[in-house]
Amino acid sequence: MAIRLNPNPLPDLLLQIQQTEQNQNTATQQISTGRSVNQLSDNPAAAASVVLNHNQSSQDDQYLQNISTLQPQLQVADSSFTSVVTALTQAISLGTEGANGTLSHGDRQAVAVEVQGIQSQLVSLANATYQGKYLFGGTAVGAAPFTLNATTGAVTYNGNTNVTSVQISNGNSIQTNVPGSQLFQNTSGNVFQSIQDLITGLQNNSNIGAAVTEVQNALTTVNTQRVQYDNSLNQLSSSEDFLNQDKVNLSTQENALIGAALATASSNLVQAQTAEEATLNAASRILSLPNLLSYLPPP
Amino acid sequence: MGSLTASLNIAMQGLQAEQTAIQTTTNNIANVDTPGYSRQVANFDDNPPIQIGNLSLGSGVNISQVTSLRDAVLDKRVNQETQQQGELNAFISGGQQIQALFNETESTGLQTPLTNFFNSLSELSANPSDVDTRQAVLTAAQNLATAFNQTSNNLTQIQQGEDLDVTQSVNQINSLTSQIAAVNVQVSAATGTGQNPGPFIDQRQQLINQLSNLVDVSEIDAGNNSLTLTTTSGAPLVVGGQSFPLTTQADPVTGLQDVYSQGNNITSKITGGELAGQIQLRDQEIPSDISSLDSLASTLATAVNTQNAQGYDLNGNPGGNIFVPPPANGAGAAGSLAVAITDPSLLAASGGPAPGTAGDNTNANALLAIQNQTIDNGESPIDAYSSLVYKIGNDVSTAQSNQTAGSEVLDQLTNLQQGVSGVDINEESANLIRFQSAYQASAQVSGIIDQLLQDTINIIPVT
Repeated sequence: MAIRLNPNPLPDLLLQIQQTEQNQNTATQQISTGRSVNQLSDNPAAAASVVLNHNQSSQDDQYLQNISTLQPQLQVADSSFTSVVTALTQAISLGTEGANGTLSHGDRQAVAVEVQGIQSQLVSLANATYQGKYLFGGTAVGAAPFTLNATTGAVTYNGNTNVTSVQISNGNSIQTNVPGSQLFQNTSGNVFQSIQDLITGLQNNSNIGAAVTEVQNALTTVNTQRVQYDNSLNQLSSSEDFLNQDKVNLSTQENALIGAALATASSNLVQAQTAEEATLNAASRILSLPNLLSYLPPP
Repeated sequence: MGSLTASLNIAMQGLQAEQTAIQTTTNNIANVDTPGYSRQVANFDDNPPIQIGNLSLGSGVNISQVTSLRDAVLDKRVNQETQQQGELNAFISGGQQIQALFNETESTGLQTPLTNFFNSLSELSANPSDVDTRQAVLTAAQNLATAFNQTSNNLTQIQQGEDLDVTQSVNQINSLTSQIAAVNVQVSAATGTGQNPGPFIDQRQQLINQLSNLVDVSEIDAGNNSLTLTTTSGAPLVVGGQSFPLTTQADPVTGLQDVYSQGNNITSKITGGELAGQIQLRDQEIPSDISSLDSLASTLATAVNTQNAQGYDLNGNPGGNIFVPPPANGAGAAGSLAVAITDPSLLAASGGPAPGTAGDNTNANALLAIQNQTIDNGESPIDAYSSLVYKIGNDVSTAQSNQTAGSEVLDQLTNLQQGVSGVDINEESANLIRFQSAYQASAQVSGIIDQLLQDTINIIPVT
């Protein structure tokens, strides 16, 4: 004898209908949110990875913002150097001119005055600021790093020798300053001392040639030190490229983790709808089946 | 030698037996939609033969018994699966509330405030002297503290909701066990007097099934169809006609309701039904989540405070606490995390004490570096949080797949159970036709015997 089946098909049919409705819901939710993972339990590992993905992406945004803060600051510093180089080149040609023995005393004094003009121009270049912060005072950003003694012509450094570095991507920092003392009062070429020597030389008509050499050394030194800023600027722009690419990668990864494959979801939806139609159709047929009593003649 | 009157008597018995069978069938059809009803069958028995001379003659038919068809083993299996379903359903419903607090796919949760806090330090590193940037760090710290507070409080609220559910479940359990005890008495009384205890067993099975949805139940046959019910750990629920109510009592440490049976705390021994799911959420899942948050909040706050103290603020003074120091063992740290300072100049971004070093970001960099330090049980803050997210999602997901598998098993078992006990209208109709024709036959037989008796009487001449 066959195993007796559950004579009531209704609970099974309802379960089936519920299941197809659930599938429709899932597919609809995936299509409307664009995500295959809508709550943690849908895919715990993907949800946990998304935490790290969002964290990284947000860090990248912050790094990009840091870059956009630092870039103009470094560019201001760099353009100061261009002016410093121009000024020093000019001082060298003035010095060379002043060293010419045919020059009259008065003319030489005039040249000295011109060089003095360059000196104060250099001091103000060395006191360059960006958004109110002095760029060449080490970490002492609140006060002018260089002061010129108008009487003696001596320039003193008030800053410190600290350098700062800022992270511009994971594990990658750049140096954001070079202390002014290293830039302008370097032992291998002292900008202010050489200019002062040139002025004194011109005024006294002595050792002008040596002073010009000093200025040339200072120019070389400034150009050497300036490389640090160029390097940092280059690093900023390559880091910017990297971060933008990383964000694209992260967004691709996020999509792979929790994004819905719309084509799949749509076809799931159609499938679920078809399944539900079929189930409802079957249910209505089963439930409207006549039973044995229907065939008995009325008494 | 047989007799016509004996035959008439036998025909009479046939009519009566078929009537009983028809009534049983009618009752089955009437109860086709009654939950828990088991179909009944009338058992036909031929009467013992009568010895007349050397003849052994049949003496008719009787309905010896009306039996309810059920399979006690299937009933038990259905109850067991129901216990598991109850537990999983309760756990999933609470677990879904928990995971909604951490829904990082929609960026609801702690990742954003946590990342933003470290990003504000990154910005501070790029611009350490700027007051607005410093203020932004304090704001981010405040947002982080608020996020920790809210998440922890929401978890506590879910926990308290589960605590209420525990009390309600215990009340429902007590109401069911007292009903079961009453039905148990009826079952054994019916069994003792030889009646069909089936309808009472149906009712009892329905009640035990409801009870199984709430708590783990172990059934022990106590004879006479009476059942002794205990929890699987042995706490008595029903013994014969007596029910043993569970009670609740506030735990002196947690303040949450413990479940007692006969003076014994059985809270941790409940292994099935909604009560088990509620207790698991309330006593294990949520405390473990809160404890992970506490650990993250306290290690982070401590690391930030310690690092800030290594540096110097905008006034050249050594740094103080950024966060109010968390409790020593970390307990409650997430709920109570708070920012200790309102003056942005007190952030110790600088690594050196000398005044006039506003541009020094050494310590800001060190504060930022905490984001990659393995401060929380060997994990960085974001990794620790990510692990918590995984754990919460995985707990719900595991329960869901167990629930799905279990519900299919339960569905199968219910089908098997109904295969034994369910009323089939077609089957009953066929029986009805059979009983009807048998009844008609017995009635015809009575008529024939009546005619024979008439014929016999008519032999005697009328005087």
